[in-house]
Amino acid sequence: MKGNLDRREFLKLAGLASLSHALPRFVMAPGTPQPSPGKKNILLVVFDALSSNNIPFYGYPRQTMPNLAELADRAVVYHNHFAAGNFTTPGTASLLTGTLPWTHRAFNYNGTVDGSYLSRNIFHAFQDHYRLAYSHNPLVNTLFDQFLADLDDYIPRETLFLANDGLIQALFKRDEDIASLSWTRTIKRKEEGYAYSLYLSRLYEGYRESKIANLKPLFPRGLPNISGDNYFLLEQAIDSIGGQLSAIPQPFFAYIHFLPPHFPYKTHRDFYGRFANDGFKPVQKPVDLFTQEKSPDNLLKWRTWYDEYILYADREFGRLFNILESSGRLENTWILFTSDHGEMFERGISGHTTPVLHQPVIRIPLLIFEPGRQVGTQVYTPTSAIDVLPTLLHLSGQEIPDWVEGLVLPPFTQTGPALERSLYALQARNNGKYAPLSQASSMLLKGRHKIVYYFGYDQLGEKGNRVELYDLEADPEELDDLYASQPGTGTQLLDELKSKLAEVDRPYL
Amino acid sequence: MPITNSKLYSRHGLWSLFLICALPLHLWTIILALRDFSWVAERTNAWDAIGVLSYGMVFALIESLMIFLVIALLGFLVPRRWSYDQRIALMSALLLITALWAMIGQLYFLLDLSLPETVISFLGRSRHPLRVLYVASLGMVLPTVLYPAYLILGSNRAFRFMQGLTERLSLLASFYLFLDFAGLVILVIRNL
Repeated sequence: MKGNLDRREFLKLAGLASLSHALPRFVMAPGTPQPSPGKKNILLVVFDALSSNNIPFYGYPRQTMPNLAELADRAVVYHNHFAAGNFTTPGTASLLTGTLPWTHRAFNYNGTVDGSYLSRNIFHAFQDHYRLAYSHNPLVNTLFDQFLADLDDYIPRETLFLANDGLIQALFKRDEDIASLSWTRTIKRKEEGYAYSLYLSRLYEGYRESKIANLKPLFPRGLPNISGDNYFLLEQAIDSIGGQLSAIPQPFFAYIHFLPPHFPYKTHRDFYGRFANDGFKPVQKPVDLFTQEKSPDNLLKWRTWYDEYILYADREFGRLFNILESSGRLENTWILFTSDHGEMFERGISGHTTPVLHQPVIRIPLLIFEPGRQVGTQVYTPTSAIDVLPTLLHLSGQEIPDWVEGLVLPPFTQTGPALERSLYALQARNNGKYAPLSQASSMLLKGRHKIVYYFGYDQLGEKGNRVELYDLEADPEELDDLYASQPGTGTQLLDELKSKLAEVDRPYL
Repeated sequence: MPITNSKLYSRHGLWSLFLICALPLHLWTIILALRDFSWVAERTNAWDAIGVLSYGMVFALIESLMIFLVIALLGFLVPRRWSYDQRIALMSALLLITALWAMIGQLYFLLDLSLPETVISFLGRSRHPLRVLYVASLGMVLPTVLYPAYLILGSNRAFRFMQGLTERLSLLASFYLFLDFAGLVILVIRNL
């Protein structure tokens, strides 16, 4: 929303969900560039923590996404697409700004982008579209909060929760994340069995349980949730978003960020046990220095739960696609299907809260559905999340600003990224936002080689750094570290990566 | 022991009762929030960890007010022939004892304890294990509440002891109110 409304006023308006959705034009301040008729809609759908390594058409043996696999026959499918970070904040910020984490600086947990990106982001770039955003994940909402001035319709995340702590979120809008965390620790015994509150926690529990009791049989591992007992149904979110996309002014630009298949992996009963005892044996990999000491059995269990949760996400994406098709929106809407980062179940590590940048945590899906396209196209050129923004600008006939670091994706341009392009990712969760990088994992992928340079972690001992080199073409599972055996390639790539790190650190020295 | 039909509560008595309500709730919040402090600080930063503690203190203050209201209203059930000092001592004792039990209930999870095998197998054999568990809990808690109540109302010595304890604990609880104020200031700053 543009104009004179401040953030609090905007959220008050946004809280009046039914009114704002029924009368979207009324909440656009005078002077706001109006959506241009004739332009195509853009829908960017993100499923959180969805790794390409667990998707069948990228080579995974389990049939986790039958619906997407079918739809992929009508899409441009990117086989070597990479997130710019290994968790939500940097991954999403790069997607939204078209820049790398060391540039936008949102690489801390729940971090924010540098102030200069308040007017350099995907929402600002589509001023002639009606811009709508929704996310289950509060880390994304932190970024949305920064871009409010460029949102016409911001759906508060609790709108699509089954039983929510709306009061806390409404009272402490500017500090929602920490207020919610403290509220969770105060009132909700469920996660740990204890809470700060001695009396009210029991009453509160009873109240919350009564609100979701009838849905429990549908989810044998518990209802999908985030931050304690913020329960949600993906079906409900899909129906609501699908309905809104059919009703809002066109052309629209919508960014929708669903939590599944992010942990906790709580699939629908229709998929419960689907992969249990299917005999699947993942490739055994050596335990990493940054291991969380998860046993192979434990990792296999989480992998199976995760895969079954992907099935749920897949079915619901298929439904969203059908809703858009039946409403006729598909005919003039570009749909991008992607994720913010991946997930891993190997080397003693489960999830993505880790310093490592192995393929499962950074290799993510990207499918582009072009209006009217009936033939699938496979793209094997390495691509990055930072390429999404310039590609969308290109597709909508706009100029690409010089601050964008990504490139227009093939096959939409003849001058797209070269195979030998340098592609980066960064993990610097504990590094100061405006400090030179002193504790980080950095990755450079060039052609068939990938080098990862870790530095500043206690686990690295006196040496203080670690370098890994992989040939992804010959060794896609990253089993064979070539850094010692191929010093030529290793030194060349490491020099390039270090040179880049020195360059991005320069403004903060 | 003075038996009087005077008013139900004195202003000073109500303040003491409120402070006694605040004491266990704040104490427990501080213990657990400090346990969480490093976890939050590592995950985000120290300022956020201070934020979690501050919100916790403010939520504890709100809960204290609610519990105080309930306890003060419960005081109306005490026969008017007991003096307001006795009423305060009695309600304070009940509050402290139940808070202690609530803490023990949570310590069970905090210390990762489990019931003895024999108890679990006994419950397993029962047709209504939950009912048995509740009745057993009530059987443990009730005497620890009723006996002190009987002592406070029947023994001048017990009454004086409780009165002295209440006064000393109130002083400590006043300090927690200062922390509440600091928490409130931090909360306002974080939401500016």
